[in-house]
Amino acid sequence: MLHGMLTLLLFQFVGECCVKLFVLKIPGPIIGMVLLLLFLLLRKSSFSALDVTVSWLLRYLPLFIIPAASGIITQIDTISNEAFAILSSLLIGTFLALAFSAKLIDVLISRKEKTHES
Amino acid sequence: MNLDALIAYVTTTPLVWLIITISAYKIGILVYEKSGKNALLQPIVIAYMIMLPILILANIPYKQYFESVSIIHFLLGPATVALALPLYKNLKLIRSYFMPIVVTLFLGGTFTILSALGILRLFDASTTTMLSMTTKSVTAPITIITAQDIGAIPSLAMGFVVITGLLGALFGSFIFKILRIKHDAAKGFALGLISHAIGIARAVEISDKAAAFAALAMGLVGVVIAVLLPIVIGFL
Repeated sequence: MLHGMLTLLLFQFVGECCVKLFVLKIPGPIIGMVLLLLFLLLRKSSFSALDVTVSWLLRYLPLFIIPAASGIITQIDTISNEAFAILSSLLIGTFLALAFSAKLIDVLISRKEKTHES
Repeated sequence: MNLDALIAYVTTTPLVWLIITISAYKIGILVYEKSGKNALLQPIVIAYMIMLPILILANIPYKQYFESVSIIHFLLGPATVALALPLYKNLKLIRSYFMPIVVTLFLGGTFTILSALGILRLFDASTTTMLSMTTKSVTAPITIITAQDIGAIPSLAMGFVVITGLLGALFGSFIFKILRIKHDAAKGFALGLISHAIGIARAVEISDKAAAFAALAMGLVGVVIAVLLPIVIGFL
């Protein structure tokens, strides 16, 4: 568990350092995540301490979001002023995007399986 | 007895807000499990419904609350790095449908952002609202850390993320039925792509294959949007 946490913090730290050093616009933890992914791909396996820490962290992930998400109480004015635009965008946008993506990948998979059979 | 000292302690210690926040989430988990893990009764949604009224009634400045629970917020960083592991484990699924996945990832990812922005523009929404809408299909931890960098408001962006997740889970079965979606891999990938973790929770109800493709989609779209969005916005 400790080894796993240390690994994650180390990759996050290296990610943040890359952002500062190379003046990147990408958040540090994302760089850390990509570096860890590359590390795992090169190593060709994970290790149990990492597995344990990751499953613990991801299990409680929604909890870690609550502090930042509660900031919505400072945004009540914006939301009530633009409620109609926001609701329309979320409702229609999500419906269309889900329909578009599902149909697109379904057609592409069908086509691929057909060429495999012939 | 020193009542004043007690009151002074209770109103200033971060412990009170830590206990309330963790309790709200715990209640969220209990309700979610009691409901038979209904994708629409996510623990985070229940926790929201408990926390927001408490914060408003307590009339505590948000900054003070945030500082009290900053130890919880800190864990978002390592948790984001941790997303590499499920992505690594699901990455081998890419090989089976490489082109369909890559094409849908980029076209679907672009479509979800542009359709939402187009509708906001139609109704003259503010720039901040539009920026906060760009991460609506991205998993919450990536949204929060990306939102700050692109000039969006993290909490507003988070609200949009949660609602997008719920709507995707709500519309999913209906859309798959009217469009006659055949493959579970396609259903799962679309759910993870548009509705992140809540989409995965819905995909779990379809099949294991759908769930794996949903997890893959969530990881991929999170990385791609987090990497490309700040660059694209930097050019505008």
